[in-house]
Amino acid sequence: MNQLGSVGLIAGMAFAVFGIVAGGVGGWLRSPRMLKSAERAALAFFVMITLAVVALEYLILTDDFHNAYVAGHSNRALPTYYKVAVLWAGQEGSLLFWTWLLAVYGGLAVLLNRAKNQQLMPYVIAVLMSTAAFFAAITFFAANPFAELYMTTAGGAEPFTAFDGKGLNPLLQYHSMVIHPPMLYLGYVGFVVPFAFAMAALITKQLGDNWIRITRRWTMVPWMFLGAGVLLGGRWAYSVLGWGGYWGWDPVENASLLPWLSGTAFLHSVMIQEKRGMLKVWNIVLVITTFFLCIFGTFLTRSGIVSSVHAFAQSGIGPFFAVYLGVVTFFSVSLLFMRLEFLKSENKLDSMVSRESGFLFNNWVLLAAVFAVLWGTLFPVISETVVGETVTVGAPYFNKVAIPIGLLLLLLTGVGPLFAWRKTSFQSLKRNFTVPLAIAVVVGAILAAAGVRHFYAWVSLFLATFVGVCTLQEFYKGARTRQRTGGENFFQAIYNLTMMNTRRYGGYVVHLGIVMLFVGFAGQAFQAQVKGLMLEGDELRVKDYVLRAQKISTADNPNYSSMELTLDITKNGKSLGTLTPDRRFFKASEQPTSHVAIRSGFTEDLYTVLAGQDQETGKAVVEVFVNPLVRWVWIGGFVMVFGTLLALVPSRAERQMAEIRQEQKVASVVAHAK
Amino acid sequence: MLLATAIGRSQEPAPTVASVGNKVMCTCGCVAILNQCPHQGCSTHDEIQAAIQKLIVEGKSEPEILEALTARYGKKILAAPPTTGFHLTAWVLPGVGLIFGLVVVVLIVRRLRHSAEASSVRSEQVDPKVMAAMEEEMKTSGLGTRD
Repeated sequence: MNQLGSVGLIAGMAFAVFGIVAGGVGGWLRSPRMLKSAERAALAFFVMITLAVVALEYLILTDDFHNAYVAGHSNRALPTYYKVAVLWAGQEGSLLFWTWLLAVYGGLAVLLNRAKNQQLMPYVIAVLMSTAAFFAAITFFAANPFAELYMTTAGGAEPFTAFDGKGLNPLLQYHSMVIHPPMLYLGYVGFVVPFAFAMAALITKQLGDNWIRITRRWTMVPWMFLGAGVLLGGRWAYSVLGWGGYWGWDPVENASLLPWLSGTAFLHSVMIQEKRGMLKVWNIVLVITTFFLCIFGTFLTRSGIVSSVHAFAQSGIGPFFAVYLGVVTFFSVSLLFMRLEFLKSENKLDSMVSRESGFLFNNWVLLAAVFAVLWGTLFPVISETVVGETVTVGAPYFNKVAIPIGLLLLLLTGVGPLFAWRKTSFQSLKRNFTVPLAIAVVVGAILAAAGVRHFYAWVSLFLATFVGVCTLQEFYKGARTRQRTGGENFFQAIYNLTMMNTRRYGGYVVHLGIVMLFVGFAGQAFQAQVKGLMLEGDELRVKDYVLRAQKISTADNPNYSSMELTLDITKNGKSLGTLTPDRRFFKASEQPTSHVAIRSGFTEDLYTVLAGQDQETGKAVVEVFVNPLVRWVWIGGFVMVFGTLLALVPSRAERQMAEIRQEQKVASVVAHAK
Repeated sequence: MLLATAIGRSQEPAPTVASVGNKVMCTCGCVAILNQCPHQGCSTHDEIQAAIQKLIVEGKSEPEILEALTARYGKKILAAPPTTGFHLTAWVLPGVGLIFGLVVVVLIVRRLRHSAEASSVRSEQVDPKVMAAMEEEMKTSGLGTRD
């Protein structure tokens, strides 16, 4: 099976190279036959890499410890669902997984564009296959998951099979951690497709909004996955790491946030090109930047140039990624400069107070955030290079720098959509913003009266109210108009309004999700924490909660041994049941982890951690946090995903246009036959 | 995520082990802030915490405590770059980038507005009856005129 996997990788590389050549030549010669060959090469690449993935999963699931990767990341006692996740647990397997997802996206791009976009597709395939070839080559030559174990003996190197493996990193043995990497990779990898279409558009000089329209959904899907992946990582940190928070500004976390930010800028900016034929150069820059940041994020995680809890073990693949990034940047920027004359704006801006300007300012803030996070993430390396001093850039830095930018972004989220295209009158501004501002001021006053003194928390909640009302107002006004003119009931009107323009109203739902995220963030200002040593019968108090240690017990299974603490919880004298945090010691890897126990509510979470056992007294070391409003972070994430899915649904207008085009096509075929 | 834990850190009146522990790193290799070191029984964490406690008992202020820790462990122990020398650029450049970006956007907007008069002439050439019919259609659908 090792050999089969290697064959899959080698054959995949060969097909990818063939796809590059067939696509490039086919596009140059405008040959339908070469295009067909390129399509088949892309599909064959998918088949071969799937073969490699199936082979590796088979080796993992059958505990084949002759394979070095399996021996290094799995073990016999590991539950099956975690064994599946071993595929992406280590450097080699995750690179193969990355390559496979690229094959999936490439295959889908080919299948969904058969007999469409014939001029673009050869070059799209060529660009996709170049990325595919790079990743397949890196996987095979520099981080091969099919390497075998050998033992040096007197007779030379002999095949060796370990009795058991080292096991999966205990920190990864958690449900949200199982799906967090696949979500992230679906995001990272997916941005290759809009990049490929952009390059194809540049090469073929088809720089109208056709490539933008084609890639809209190809951009939204990875953007959604990347955002979900980032939040899942936060959820994992919250549930497993036991420090009471969910975002630590770790370099690898930042690396996943960067393309999401630039991708958000791109998703907004393309609307200007679609509606007004403007910012064509800027959109190309944004899609190149987003793709660059995706590969850069992968590079950061694997090169070892920054210290991170997430980073894979340092390997030699960093320089290859650096070269690839250089080549991609050189190629794409050169192409852009060569095509500048075809990227002139078709219209002019009519007013500073317009939807177009709103999107520009939105882009400004998002890219300022990208710069700030990137600068902070790379600063340790820069400092060491420039002045020879190693410094750390951690959460205190990013917290100070991110606040003003984040709040600006929140403000624009509410304000931007209410500007009209081309020009917004003062009357329109007054009409749209009076009610949201009034409600926000009332809420702000109530918060201040209730004792909210933390400045940034207050501003965050004030703006969240303002933006939330601005957004809900859009649904309300549109629905009321439909009610008046069409006689629909309110909920019917909301539904039909949304289905008429899913992109717009799906976007508004995403904005509501952002508002919820910021409400959740603001709650961190009011976190309470206590730490203590407990034996059975002891109590800890935090805010209105009393936690009594009911029972301390131990357990053992082949995978880990554990210590559990059962806590009786009461709040203001009322019983709230029990929480049972535990601490596990994983036998194969000899590592401990804490599993927190959380009582979650819409207003606050009670978060308990069994941090360990005091060596001197034998007492349980317990940490308890009260985290206000945290649940709104996760709810906000779900709402954002829902909003994106809604925006992906074709609107009624789109469906009607598609039907008309189909009827015209049929009529044309019939007329031609006659 | 941009505001994650940021809002949670308000001003500290007097230094505590917890407040200083949020501003320094654990040097055991966990790459985490001292208060967030995930290693139970980490001797490095305990050593740094003990050093902080000793300095608090001696009556040192927070900046003095951070200075003492830096002298002992190097600048790497600080969870944020110092605001001196080259390291000041870590703090200054994001703000500079923000302002620079704003200037660029304003310049772009002005440049794109340059021939607004030509655009308005073109739009007047649309048949007023067609425009009125389109506006009416958009109003009754509830979509308004913003999209």
